[in-house]
Amino acid sequence: VSLDRDELQDSARKAFGEDGLVPDAAQSWARLVEMGWFMMTVPEDLGGLGMGPEAVGVIHTELGRALVPGSAIAQMVAIEALAGHGDWLERAMAGEPVTVSLCHALDADRAGYSVQVAPGRVTLEPIATATQRDTWDQTRRLFDITTSGDGIVLAEGAEADALADRLRAVLLIALAADSLGAADAILAMTIEYLKVRRQFDRPLALFQALKHRVADLKVALTAAEALFWSCCTPAARLVDLGALKAHATSAALRVAEEAIQLHGGIGLTAEHPCHLFLKRILLNRALGDDSDYWEEAAGRALLDASSRA
Amino acid sequence: MTDLDTLRDQVRTWLDAEAPRDWRAAASHEAFVASQRHWFGKLVAAGYANPHWPAEWPGGGRSLAEQKVIYEELARADAPRLLLSFVSTFHAFATLHECGSADQKARYLHRILEGETWCQGFSEPGAGSDLAAVKTRAERRGDVYVVNGQKIWSTMAQYADRCLLLVRTSSDGVKQAGLTFLLMDMKAPGVTVRPIHQIQGDEEFAEIFLDNVEVPVTERVGDEGAGWAVAQATLASERGLTLMELAYRMRGAMRRLCDLVRANGRGNDAGVLRDLGRLGAQVDAVCALADRFLENRMNGRERLGDASIVKNAYSRALRAWSELGLRLGAMAAQYRDAISFGDLNSGNWMADFMNSYAWTIAGGSEEVQRNIIAERVLDMPREPKGWML
Repeated sequence: VSLDRDELQDSARKAFGEDGLVPDAAQSWARLVEMGWFMMTVPEDLGGLGMGPEAVGVIHTELGRALVPGSAIAQMVAIEALAGHGDWLERAMAGEPVTVSLCHALDADRAGYSVQVAPGRVTLEPIATATQRDTWDQTRRLFDITTSGDGIVLAEGAEADALADRLRAVLLIALAADSLGAADAILAMTIEYLKVRRQFDRPLALFQALKHRVADLKVALTAAEALFWSCCTPAARLVDLGALKAHATSAALRVAEEAIQLHGGIGLTAEHPCHLFLKRILLNRALGDDSDYWEEAAGRALLDASSRA
Repeated sequence: MTDLDTLRDQVRTWLDAEAPRDWRAAASHEAFVASQRHWFGKLVAAGYANPHWPAEWPGGGRSLAEQKVIYEELARADAPRLLLSFVSTFHAFATLHECGSADQKARYLHRILEGETWCQGFSEPGAGSDLAAVKTRAERRGDVYVVNGQKIWSTMAQYADRCLLLVRTSSDGVKQAGLTFLLMDMKAPGVTVRPIHQIQGDEEFAEIFLDNVEVPVTERVGDEGAGWAVAQATLASERGLTLMELAYRMRGAMRRLCDLVRANGRGNDAGVLRDLGRLGAQVDAVCALADRFLENRMNGRERLGDASIVKNAYSRALRAWSELGLRLGAMAAQYRDAISFGDLNSGNWMADFMNSYAWTIAGGSEEVQRNIIAERVLDMPREPKGWML
């Protein structure tokens, strides 16, 4: 299936852009299932649509833009893990929630099983207990879980480590996309606010000091988006995706921080959505290994490549 | 293999054999300029100097996709940048091609490929970002314009044969309306050129002093008073390829930073590795951005102001690249070494850092680009025209 990024983006934006920010979780999940988005990346011979990581990018950008709650990120990772495991894959593609240890067990209370990733071993295990943690990001729900250990082994040894890298790759792409979508939305809201809000008998958008700040945000965000789409290929190395996630969440965070500042007092209120974007991006930055880890790994990879050349 | 792959192979094979390796070793600006002339001649002969020209010219008629391949390969081969011939092949060509008379085209275009060099006489001490404030006067006397004034920031004007000159022929009406565009012989009596000594030790720019210089009326491009429109054609001549080439060169030059880290025994310093990794992503992002910009141009999807986004992203990354080298270079970078002419990523860290300012200032300062981005891309209100004290 060839992907037209614009078409997919249009339908994703229609699906999630019309109910306002933070739409209902159950309805959003039903919509994701209905539109076949959990089948997108699964190869055609396994009953999926055989689309590449670009499709993941498009969907998660739109989920971030609308601050869609739920565990779509965990589900995409789980589906990658379950490919080739017949009935389990079918059920996950059909929308039965499966959570993942790499995602701190997002929405574990809705899931019967969790994909547990450990060195040399990836398993699918029944969830025994799930305790919700109170997180700053109000749009996602993280859990401490215990599993009963009598699940199925998805991969072992070197195969498991290779699978774990593929799962991390999906996670990093989704986190980067989610952050960039969120940043794009909050930047647009901020610009709109500057155009409407008047002080000193003129719109704030007329002040060059503020125009220049949002112009810089636009530059940072556009560059991060370009990096994102250039990394959205099946051939991308994990370390490059990690560097991408660090770069994208850093750019997105800058936008979200400035958004609150540029909104002034209203940005500090819980009723205004600014803080929801900031907190969601901060969680994205922490999930899937932090920026310090990835930046160091990327630096080492650069150094290694240049000494081989 | 696609046609583009075939072209890439051809260019790469040619560059492997022909690209000079020692161009950074030029001991003086004059030696560098001589090497530039030689390299330009070889590129013209091979048909790679003017891919953006129309097909009736040897080397011309290349699509933007083909031009991109040629520039990617020039960057990859670390071949010398085309500095001396830049204004002639892009700005002078576009001006003549778009707005020149048949006579002017016949007179000058072939000379550009024969190595005639041009400079741009636009900026003045009182007209930088505000180009329309040009004050250099041209007075019509019979068949000539008599020109008096001063131009500045003219790239390599000290070596130029001819100048794209923006002058004021009238002070009536809005300031753009009184401008006229002339082609000036740099050897004409009354033209004095003084190189500008830059903070990194190069002399890439010059001032041009004009004292009763006579320019024949036949050397006017467009009508009298139409200079602003002609200047727009000049300035629109190159958008995208250069920044892409420079971004790719900067990515190649990440190697210099890696060498420095190794040489200083800092290969296991987590802080240094993080800075290197973070910069690597920033540089990759600029490359991806420049690629996407060109792709949008090819597909007719370029929007007004997009070029400003690429320029600001590149110039900030260049600043960060050279700053990291300067920091890691520590004391060693404080001792003066000979500079490499025509190289933004030379590994002479202090020189590179000082030189990186050129890109946040020249060709439309970072601040002007921010205005363009805010007003054209983000649709924020324009600067008020009037100004009250």
